[in-house]
Amino acid sequence: MKEYLQVANQPMMWLMVLPAIIVVLAQVFFIAKRAFATAEEVEMTKEESRKAFRIGFVSGIGPALSVFIVMVAMIAVLGGPITWLRTVIIGAASTELTAATFGAEAMGVEFGSPEYGITEYANSILAMVLNGSGWLIICGLFTDKLGVIQDKIAGGNTALYGIIGSAAITAAFSFLLSDHLRAGGGSALTAVISGLTMVVIMRICKKYPKLEELSLGIAMVIGMAVSAIVFPQ
Amino acid sequence: MEKNIDQTYNQKFTIPVIRIGRISMFIATLACFVPSIYLAIRYGARPPIGAILAGWGLTAAVYAPFYFIEPISYFPVLGIAGTYMSFLAGEIGNMRLPCAAVAQSVLKVEEGTKKSELVGTLAIAGSVVTSVIAGTLSVFVGSFILNVLPASVLRAFDFVLPAVFGSMFAIKAPKFGVYALALVLILKIFTPLPVFAILPLTVFSTIAFGIFEHKKKNSKGAEK
Repeated sequence: MKEYLQVANQPMMWLMVLPAIIVVLAQVFFIAKRAFATAEEVEMTKEESRKAFRIGFVSGIGPALSVFIVMVAMIAVLGGPITWLRTVIIGAASTELTAATFGAEAMGVEFGSPEYGITEYANSILAMVLNGSGWLIICGLFTDKLGVIQDKIAGGNTALYGIIGSAAITAAFSFLLSDHLRAGGGSALTAVISGLTMVVIMRICKKYPKLEELSLGIAMVIGMAVSAIVFPQ
Repeated sequence: MEKNIDQTYNQKFTIPVIRIGRISMFIATLACFVPSIYLAIRYGARPPIGAILAGWGLTAAVYAPFYFIEPISYFPVLGIAGTYMSFLAGEIGNMRLPCAAVAQSVLKVEEGTKKSELVGTLAIAGSVVTSVIAGTLSVFVGSFILNVLPASVLRAFDFVLPAVFGSMFAIKAPKFGVYALALVLILKIFTPLPVFAILPLTVFSTIAFGIFEHKKKNSKGAEK
């Protein structure tokens, strides 16, 4: 194993990553607590609150698979602890690997080459962390101001809030979907099959509401399975 | 009466969440540097400041526009609490947005209401817990699991993202889907615009389109 990877995978490195992971969980804990406590003000039952949290938890399982394989690839070059850090804190694999590469280049060596040692590795980590800080700091400072701007646009009109929200989310999913449609082949087929399955599930759910919570998972698995059969490697 | 609910809601939710959000983002930023400090002290791995700035600068040249574009573009969906959680934990398009949208659709909340904000917040919170568990499992047993899975299952994993986005688009399409998807495809295929311009352009023009349609419908209703 390369020298820097021995350092990267040391038990102490796991410990050094832990504080950031704890902050993520603590933030969610405190915000969720506020949300549970405020639910009654908007005529939301305890059961509905718990259901909302549970649906988020369950619906996240399918999409989490997308993180899985790239993480294994990242571990090979960055070690376990830093991969853990950069996956749990904002950052996609592509972003992190780009930053790691630039960090190495700034030291005048190629990422992962024999010259890539501990100091170069440290510079890769700093490039990742400093880049990630951009989102954390901007959101930390300005999120509440975005709320003020949105209030001004909608002017307390609930119908408008609804339109702004649903238009924005439709646009976001269109944006995210577009590249997969353009890629054609298995990607486009998966998107179409999963989409159609979702429409069918939503129909069926009118009779069997229990199914709704699993809708995303079911639609995903069917689309992925069909494509894996039609387009084997 | 309406005013009172708004005030209580602010007092009980929005104001405390902003405080939690600010503090947690600040502490998280610092916490991310802990491994670097450890490497510097324990192994003397201290890159020269010039190299640190160069590595950061090269990376920021690619990603800095997104520091601003993404929070602004996704805010109308995520809300205040959702934005703090999503931009700390990441995986916004593939996990936070779908989980919030599924929960809001299953619980049939009216879009744009405070209730829908709380449902979205709780769903995002739940999805972050899933992320942390999944990320932790992947780190510890990921390679082992990849070795035991058959090739056909691994092949299916290639299609996780189109499966998420295809499903979510289907839920959201009926209202503005045709307009938004056509616009994105036109912008991506026929213009040289960079991604950081296309995302906000799509989001805000779809919002404008939605508001325009709404006003048109309302004025028609008024004429009758």
